[in-house]
Amino acid sequence: MTAVPRGSCDRLACVALLLWLSPQAAAHHSSAAEFDANKPVELTGVITKVEWINPHAWIHIDVKGADGAVEAWKIEGGSPNVLFRRGVTEDSLMPGTVIVVEGARARDGSLRANGRNVTFPDGRKLFLQNDAGR
Amino acid sequence: MSFLITSRRAGLILLFACLAGAAAAQSPDAAAPGGDTPAGAWTAPRTPWGDPDLQGLWTNRTTTPLQRPAHLAHRETLTDIEAAIVDEEVTSRNDRAPAPGNPGTYNQFWWEMGSTVSGNRTSLIVDPPDGRVPPLTPKAVEAILASRAGRGPADSWEDRTLFERCITRGLPGAMIPGFYNHNYQIVQTPGQVAILIEMIHDVRIIPVDGRPHLHPAIRQWMGDSRGRWEGDTLVVETTNFSPKSRSHGFFESAGTLRLVERFTRVAPDTIDYRFTVDDPETYTRPWTAVIPMHRTDERIFEFACHEGNESIPGILGGHRAAEAEAEKEKVKP
Repeated sequence: MTAVPRGSCDRLACVALLLWLSPQAAAHHSSAAEFDANKPVELTGVITKVEWINPHAWIHIDVKGADGAVEAWKIEGGSPNVLFRRGVTEDSLMPGTVIVVEGARARDGSLRANGRNVTFPDGRKLFLQNDAGR
Repeated sequence: MSFLITSRRAGLILLFACLAGAAAAQSPDAAAPGGDTPAGAWTAPRTPWGDPDLQGLWTNRTTTPLQRPAHLAHRETLTDIEAAIVDEEVTSRNDRAPAPGNPGTYNQFWWEMGSTVSGNRTSLIVDPPDGRVPPLTPKAVEAILASRAGRGPADSWEDRTLFERCITRGLPGAMIPGFYNHNYQIVQTPGQVAILIEMIHDVRIIPVDGRPHLHPAIRQWMGDSRGRWEGDTLVVETTNFSPKSRSHGFFESAGTLRLVERFTRVAPDTIDYRFTVDDPETYTRPWTAVIPMHRTDERIFEFACHEGNESIPGILGGHRAAEAEAEKEKVKP
């Protein structure tokens, strides 16, 4: 967490700050055009392969439904370049690993979702070797 | 404390900051408007052939937005405390649930955001003084509307931005920080300066040998750049842009843009980079942004964006599905 220097902050100014929006801090592609916020998914699946490709990595998982049928889903991530800089390699997320994905399903109805929040089943986030996002 | 609803994490910092009591220390003024303060008697290094040496790996990552947020219209700078709050907010928000109706993107570990620029400015744009891209001219508005008349947001891939299509961010788009991969490598030879841009993997080869611009009939997405040295500063003037230029998704130009950039190494680890957009056909006045570039020892990797650009079929497919749904609704009795 960022160290906050001691000092005061005018309440209205603080509220305004929380509305801070960085125009360039939107994803490379329009997420809202591709994924439907009204179709949230929460998937627990076994990784079958990871495509470390640009502009977005894709994590493939097999998800077993209540009826035992298996669905093959593709989960979208960001640019692998960022993770490579942090020392993540293609061995860092091996097939067979179980992950939990919260995201939104593709608008076209295919078995794709954005990986808005990807964790291990115990709640740990993936790839936290370093100060992520700084 | 009902105002602390946007984010629990930022809220805690906010609470601490608001209760802490002491007056906030303002950052010292920069030497030049929006620029970094030169460190003492700094002498800019030179190449063996005598040009100012800008070579190396640089990053312009920052949490400072290009344009000043509307609600901070009266604020050119933040206090240190406010900057820390903003940095915390921007660098952690992707791990929190998005607002209703927003599908979100992906965890924070995929992002590289940096921190507020030197001087705690609230926008990268320093001129006009309101920190905003100036209004388009009526002629430009008319041309843009005409080009989109009768078209939906995703009838074809051509309705999407050059950036989404992995073609280029154009200029000045390619020199503006985004959200990751904002790394640059500068390499010089006598007579040429090359800039490798990680995002979209654009490369600029800029002659600094006095040769004239290309013939005006030759138009390019990244225009045609010519550089010259003014003291320690590399001045680059770029013209000959394609009339179809859509830079960074929102800079519209009919190809009449004249872009002037200035690169000045003001410290061992800092380039003061600034550009001025001069395009009277498009904008009602010129505008200038100042974006510090900091030395980095991180590696640049290839960003072969088009190779795996599944987003375009995903976006077009999404719109087709929405249209089919709307048709179904129409035929319902």
